[in-house]
Amino acid sequence: MDWLEEELKSALSRKEPAGGFDERVLAAARRPKTVMLPRRWMAAAAALVVLAGAGQAYRWHRGQEARDQVMLAMRITGKKLSYVQTRIAGDRQ
Amino acid sequence: MTMLRVLAAGCGLAALLWAQQFKFNLDHLAAKASNAVDVSLNKDMLQFAGKFLSDKDSDEAKAKAMIGGLEGIYIKSFEFSRDGAWSQADLDQVRNQLKAPEWGRIMSVKSSEDNENVEVWVRHESGKVTGIALLATEPREFTVANIVGNVNLESLADLGGQFGLPKLKPSGTTAPEKKKDD
Repeated sequence: MDWLEEELKSALSRKEPAGGFDERVLAAARRPKTVMLPRRWMAAAAALVVLAGAGQAYRWHRGQEARDQVMLAMRITGKKLSYVQTRIAGDRQ
Repeated sequence: MTMLRVLAAGCGLAALLWAQQFKFNLDHLAAKASNAVDVSLNKDMLQFAGKFLSDKDSDEAKAKAMIGGLEGIYIKSFEFSRDGAWSQADLDQVRNQLKAPEWGRIMSVKSSEDNENVEVWVRHESGKVTGIALLATEPREFTVANIVGNVNLESLADLGGQFGLPKLKPSGTTAPEKKKDD
């Protein structure tokens, strides 16, 4: 054995870990990954809020359109019926 | 895929015609019109619109009360920039669908003075009013409306600014037809 082999054998030889190593490894494995999860949840929550807001805005817009259509329809038909009524009333007089 | 689209379009059209009580077939007039109104509101849309009608505004409050008994409102109204854009055939193809015994004309005004003609038809089913049809023409205007459901004509005319339309009798028969300049 030359000096190189001696050095390698020494460097790669099995060494016992410090006390409590098993517990520290297991504890680290059990610990939740608290770095990425909150960010993901916050992004998801923000997306939900944006979607809900957009949905509400769209619903409000559709409601205003529907309301305007109802009033337009009532005015068109009401105007014609009113015209008929006026003509008939005029004819009676 | 094409078949599915055709089927979906057919179902949509069928749903529309089911709600509407007669066909308008007036799309060809839209191209000639300088101004066109196309209102198509089924029961769901009317209920939805009702949530956005104010109780504080008197007209909106009346409209809100009225649409509660309606199944749909369908209107096509065209204004033209010249005379003769619509033909008698356009009017006849709508009027010919309004047949007895379901449909009865309750009012008709033909005015040579204003050059305006208006007909009001009422649909009865099992002794109940289930809809009205309104045909109104002027040389440069053509309007057809179908209001489906139990319509209160007096309230509707009120939204146009006047009271005093002949009331529908509760038995389902109608007031005698009135004609002017006919």
